[in-house]
Amino acid sequence: MNNEFGPRGRVASAADDADRAVLVLVAAGQLDALQELYDKYRVMAYSIALRITADASLAEDVVQDAFLGAWRNASRYVEGKGSVKTWLLSIVHHRAVDAVRRRRPTVELPEREDVPPAAMTLPDIWAEVAGNLDRAEIAAALTSLSDVQREALELAYFGGLTQQEIAIQTGTPLGTVKSRVRLGLLAMRRALVGTNGDAASEAAGGDRSGDPGGGALA
Amino acid sequence: MNDEPMTHETARGLAAAYVLGALEPAEEAAVREHLQTCAEPHDEFAELGGVVPYLIELPGLRLVEPPASLRDRIMAAAAADLAERTATASPAPAKATPPLAEAPAKPAAPPPVAASPGPTVPFPSTAERTERTARRGASPLGWAARIAAVVAIVILGGWNLVLQGQLSDARAYDRAVAAVIDAAGTPGSQTVVLTPTKDSHGAGIAAVAPDGSVVMAMRDLPATAGTQVYEAWVIAAGSPAPVPVGSFTVGQAGTAAFTTTPVTTPPGSTIALSLEPGPGSTAPRGTIVATGVSALPKS
Repeated sequence: MNNEFGPRGRVASAADDADRAVLVLVAAGQLDALQELYDKYRVMAYSIALRITADASLAEDVVQDAFLGAWRNASRYVEGKGSVKTWLLSIVHHRAVDAVRRRRPTVELPEREDVPPAAMTLPDIWAEVAGNLDRAEIAAALTSLSDVQREALELAYFGGLTQQEIAIQTGTPLGTVKSRVRLGLLAMRRALVGTNGDAASEAAGGDRSGDPGGGALA
Repeated sequence: MNDEPMTHETARGLAAAYVLGALEPAEEAAVREHLQTCAEPHDEFAELGGVVPYLIELPGLRLVEPPASLRDRIMAAAAADLAERTATASPAPAKATPPLAEAPAKPAAPPPVAASPGPTVPFPSTAERTERTARRGASPLGWAARIAAVVAIVILGGWNLVLQGQLSDARAYDRAVAAVIDAAGTPGSQTVVLTPTKDSHGAGIAAVAPDGSVVMAMRDLPATAGTQVYEAWVIAAGSPAPVPVGSFTVGQAGTAAFTTTPVTTPPGSTIALSLEPGPGSTAPRGTIVATGVSALPKS
């Protein structure tokens, strides 16, 4: 995608800048830069992969695939946007979910090797708000979810289940699962960017995936 | 994949599931195509997509240190990739990841995993995966053998990596100690000196950050083998039950830098490390190798 992200007021922390500098070196083929990136995020990456796959050796493969993907596609990121952490962990998450789905005998997947995770092709409010959030605030946002919303998001995010699979597993009508997923994400968003509608619009920055007008919110 | 292009309204309705990766494959492909071709705004995709990374913070993500060998594997594979890139740097066919053919709908066909992925797949080829799997089964042969096994071209680069690996171990420990010192300097932090229990090895220092996470730097720990992990425990002052706060593995260097999951850790709490047969223990089963008691700095 050739998205163009406008120069909006992004709160980029110093850590983000440092990560971007490292990623530039990774894109230039510097092995020690890759090692630095790995050492910084290996625990998060492996923990996510392990949580999703529940299989230590598969989790290792996932992390390896993800970091090699980052190694080979770092230049793609540099043209892009947002925090390196989000980008990297999105790749890990995406590949872990793929690995889990591939292992399931009943699901036949189209080859998704070349498709970047959705979070990589989207504007990144993480980077824009992360500088203002600490763990406690994020935890508070997560507590704004109802139990059933949290369960649905957890099954999708960490379980790698599709909405249909969640519906079957939890014995819930598909329509109900869809609204839990949607309302859950909306609730988190409200909690993370504040209830102020203007601030929320600003943080999201409107659409950048093809709207030349800058995407006023409806 | 679908006969009809997806309508804008339909795509918008699927935004939440799309950014979460929870759509069925056909729906997901249709939404992706819509996003690439539709000029209407798609605010909800950006708004909801930005939230998704925070789901990492959902309770219950245990922080686990990957095996030290994983770094070796990744660096060796990256070195091999670099060598290959350099060797084919001439303006030959573009290396830039041509999109893989969308798997054509072949009803009842076996999964596409076995298909030959072609020479320029952006992620490890089937051959690499096979090799990796084979290598994992073998006993740890050390840097040189493993790197030579990847591809002979990178032998020189590989030796360089051996040195980098050792340097990196030393640097990693230095950084770990620095991280503890930094954390200990934060107001409200406690410090812990971890000493080995009888007949055990492993010592270090740790700081308990105000949020209850423990930043530790350990050395002299025997390397873990197989599924073994070191599990960190907090026994809060006044509470009898050890709470597991994360696990990690240790390589030949015997050092570890680790930050635990935050739990309530009042002054006087015991921090302990045990060597467990595998991750996920809810109570210590293995040997306690090192312990220490948290304390606020004397002012």
